[in-house]
Amino acid sequence: MLYFEKRDTISARIKIIIPLISILIGILFGALAIVVVGINPYEVYKSLFINAFGSWYAFSETLVASTPLLLITAGLVLVFKMGIWNIGAYGQYIMGAIFSSYFAIFMPPDISKFMMLSLMFFGGALGGAIWAAIPAALKVFWEVNEVITTLLMNYIALYILKFFMYGPWKNPTSYGFPLSKPFPASAQLPVLFNHTRVNLGLFFAVAAIIAIWFIISKTKFGYEVKVIGNNPITAKYAGISVGKNIIIAMIISGALAGIAGMVQVSGIIHFLQVKINANYGYTSIIVAWISYLNPVLCFISSILFGGLESGGYSIQISMRVSYGIVGLIESIALFSIVGSQIFLNYKLRWKK
Amino acid sequence: MSAPQHSAIIISLLSNAIKAGTILLFPTIGEIFAERVGILNLGVEGMMLIGAFFGFIVTHITNNPYIGFAAGVAAGGIAALIHAFISITLRGNQIVSGLALTIFGAGFTTFYGQRWINMNLNTSFQSFPFPILSKIPVIGSILFNQDIIVYLSYILAVLMWFILYKTMIGINIRAVGENAKASNAMGINVYKVRYIWTFFGGLMAGAGGAYLTIGYAPFWLDGITAGRGWIAIALVIFAMWDPLKAVFGAYLFGSINALQFQLQAAGTTIPSAILNMLPYLVTFIAIVASSIIVKAKHIRPPKELGIPYSREEK
Repeated sequence: MLYFEKRDTISARIKIIIPLISILIGILFGALAIVVVGINPYEVYKSLFINAFGSWYAFSETLVASTPLLLITAGLVLVFKMGIWNIGAYGQYIMGAIFSSYFAIFMPPDISKFMMLSLMFFGGALGGAIWAAIPAALKVFWEVNEVITTLLMNYIALYILKFFMYGPWKNPTSYGFPLSKPFPASAQLPVLFNHTRVNLGLFFAVAAIIAIWFIISKTKFGYEVKVIGNNPITAKYAGISVGKNIIIAMIISGALAGIAGMVQVSGIIHFLQVKINANYGYTSIIVAWISYLNPVLCFISSILFGGLESGGYSIQISMRVSYGIVGLIESIALFSIVGSQIFLNYKLRWKK
Repeated sequence: MSAPQHSAIIISLLSNAIKAGTILLFPTIGEIFAERVGILNLGVEGMMLIGAFFGFIVTHITNNPYIGFAAGVAAGGIAALIHAFISITLRGNQIVSGLALTIFGAGFTTFYGQRWINMNLNTSFQSFPFPILSKIPVIGSILFNQDIIVYLSYILAVLMWFILYKTMIGINIRAVGENAKASNAMGINVYKVRYIWTFFGGLMAGAGGAYLTIGYAPFWLDGITAGRGWIAIALVIFAMWDPLKAVFGAYLFGSINALQFQLQAAGTTIPSAILNMLPYLVTFIAIVASSIIVKAKHIRPPKELGIPYSREEK
């Protein structure tokens, strides 16, 4: 029968091959799903690829989707390294968008752009941080499972957003649509490249992932994060304040998701609405995992998955292929990566 | 309004609460058993969506709600096997695999559900008064004027409680979740027990989903389960891993659902966003409260919940 035999060393080659094969398996099963509904998968993938990487404009749209993914992933890497399961980036992103929109909607629009954007930036970070600090504190003080609390808070955040959009923040001139009034020019993040939507948010995202890399590999806090991730009990005996570190890491993670929400409303949408692509919060979990929580790989994966999101959105319009295909491909790639972790430490053997 | 009208409204409210609670009761019981054997399956939301979807389309095609329900149950079970294979055989991380299953369920049903959106079912489960018991004043008309799936859920809750605490099967289930290595030494096939009850968890999630689209809201919408899978996972802690206590949790949340619906129908001035938030907010508060109680009473999750087992390593 087949059985697993422990490897002596982790092969670096396998470590790189596994994520690549996982994405390939995702694409293959995706193709199978497309064939079932009678569409040619080759055409779908070709169109998806062209819409993601085929031209400078297409690639710029991929970068637009990669920006929030990278921002959120940066924070998730930190908490996941600790073994803390923040599944609440979705809600933290929404709270960031709400808090930052407050300034765009209610501040006098003639205050300086720098002032306005700073308020929105820190407002967004604060909104996300609060939404992450609550489950973190509940976990630390009362051992409340953070997977469930962060998830439930996603739904609560969504309905808070709906409350504002259908109620007090609805623009009276939006013909009944649940939209806020448009943001003034001072509340819009500057565009980095002409004729694209790539904005200053990309700079925040790159800065964030570099900062997280630095924190994890070069600081005492980062060292403690890794020790806690390996074994929280050992960490406690080593004199590390586990609770404090959990709360700090969650606040950083929530703040980055909140900034991602701010970047989306301030840099891309330019008003607040119910659909602000909060699903990036879930996709980022996949990006973080498929990259082994390694910041360099996170950078590459976020561009790859940004392309999948942006290309997937385009084919929904051009080829009428449901956006569900993106979730299918992503989830199967994630299944493959989780299922194949065992091959890092074990070899498959055959025994009679 | 006169008194009899009031009581009629309350009876219909509570009767709907039972229906809404049934949607949660199946998956909660299923997840209790998966967790009892040490498998944390966060894919309940995804399995419910898959069950809801297959329940809906098979009922639509066959025009028979019972065949549709069976299809939904089976589909949920099959979906659970993906998680079982990854977390039991391949010893993968159960949290990530479960999340993948939820994303999979959402992606799958969005992709294939596109052409079914807003379609309705012409058939549903027929309610019938349960002989004798339905004659009990008030309670009879709330609990025993339901459809067969609801009656099935009553039997299931009692039966599963009995199995868990009063039979050899239950002893083995609890042993595997508490200490897999010792169970193996006792001659229990840990892999087999974990596969069976993870599969059972999927069947039950499928049942909850199928009851939602066939018995409660007979139409198809994208993401129709709307987070009920997560509420079911929270209810497992609320019920402290006990199938009978799950009944109270499920009906409590069913009542919130029914109340929300009733208030909306009555044209309340409370914004609908706030009403729709209620189930999640109440679950959140309940989970915090029950976590504190669980901690104070020294009740804890199954000891090896989420920890993979490998027979080769001694």
